[in-house]
Amino acid sequence: MEPQPTPAIAEAARRHDGPIETDAVIVGAGPVGLFQVFELGLLEIKAHVIDSLAYPGGQCIELYPDKPIYDIPAVPMCTGKELTDNLLKQIEPFGASFHFGQEVSVVARRDDGRFDVQTTRGTRFVARTIFIAGGVGSFQPRTLKVDGIERHEGTQVFYRVKNPAQFAGKELVIVGGGDSALDWTLNFVQEGPNKAASVILVHRRDGFKAAPASVAKMKELCDAYEMQFMVGQVTAIQESADGRLQAVKVTGGDGVTRVVPLDMLLVFFGLSPKLGPIADWGLALERKQIVVDTEKFETSIPGIFAVGDINTYPGKKKLILSGFHEAALAAFGASRHVFPDKRVLLQYTTTSPKLHKVLGVETPVFD
Amino acid sequence: MTHVVLESCIRCKYTDCVDVCPVDCFREGPNFLVIDPDECIDCAVCIPECPVNAILPEEDVPADQLAFIKLNAELARKWPSITKRKGALADADDWKDRKGKLGELIR
Repeated sequence: MEPQPTPAIAEAARRHDGPIETDAVIVGAGPVGLFQVFELGLLEIKAHVIDSLAYPGGQCIELYPDKPIYDIPAVPMCTGKELTDNLLKQIEPFGASFHFGQEVSVVARRDDGRFDVQTTRGTRFVARTIFIAGGVGSFQPRTLKVDGIERHEGTQVFYRVKNPAQFAGKELVIVGGGDSALDWTLNFVQEGPNKAASVILVHRRDGFKAAPASVAKMKELCDAYEMQFMVGQVTAIQESADGRLQAVKVTGGDGVTRVVPLDMLLVFFGLSPKLGPIADWGLALERKQIVVDTEKFETSIPGIFAVGDINTYPGKKKLILSGFHEAALAAFGASRHVFPDKRVLLQYTTTSPKLHKVLGVETPVFD
Repeated sequence: MTHVVLESCIRCKYTDCVDVCPVDCFREGPNFLVIDPDECIDCAVCIPECPVNAILPEEDVPADQLAFIKLNAELARKWPSITKRKGALADADDWKDRKGKLGELIR
């Protein structure tokens, strides 16, 4: 006999299958998106956060994790990584849910005034409010610019490694000079379950952005004839009669072009932001940025707010601190949609027992 | 506001900047690149990409290169868009540290 689910399990499964109902969806987990969680949290609005990267931090992590930032109020200096870590700690009490590695693909207004939101991974939400904290766009891998290469993307040409096992026992050419290129090179050369048949690393110069220890290890492996390193750039591809990618042409620093046969090509040129689908959501735009008012940072669609680098208004400056201010006012603006019948008052984290409760801290006793 | 490509780019044209622009606002001439001021969103992502530090925000353009603000706007209207990086000009390395290259500009 088939086991019958209890009504509670059936109910949980049904809810799991259905969209996530929430008061707020935040698009972007950069510093401003993270602080938006905090400002909404103080108003007891719980948020779900979506980001195309696999981790929080946005530009701070992707573009300048180790570079110092000097203009965060009351923080004389911190790095992009430190700022992100501190924000994550600050928003911990509010238990936001993160949905990484996916982009928002659909935003549509429902008859009940809420929004249907869907991501590229199929995660669905029904949200009362949306906060676009998309920065300068979603980070995409920079691609190799060679004629015809796009035909082999996903079969023989890869810009990220999702399943290392598929490269085991293959003849690999890896292009790039950063940590991703070096780490994967070492991974596929060294003994282990994913060891490739051969690995050739190609980088345009004999200097690397990657950690010096990885570079030293790579050079050791070259000296031991375990792999090869070539200075040069991939300038063309060669295909077999049946259309498979057979080899790449690498033009060296010496001006000589060599044909390098391969099974798979891995390219690690880093990520760069692209302002993509947000432009198609029907919001009023100005120079590809979202027009907002400066009272609530609300867009041309009531209930959708835009904060941080992605918005524009008279006098806008793309500063993290401006984004923080925008997040605070946008949260109050959103409270009118989430709690239409409630008067939301400004309270201070120093003195409000109610905020102490939501922050999970003790109310201090004053003498 | 906008960002501006300055003199250092002339006769070099490394094109590293083009790949990272989130809004594809670079325009390409024979030996120089410019930024379309109507498209640039001031994200500053291109600044560290340029190997010869040819890009600056409008406010930071040095006094002796203010003419490049107008020049970018003017040439952006007639030059085609460039969205993918390509090789620098052949003798780029010989020209990258020279000053007073405005006379070399091919429109």
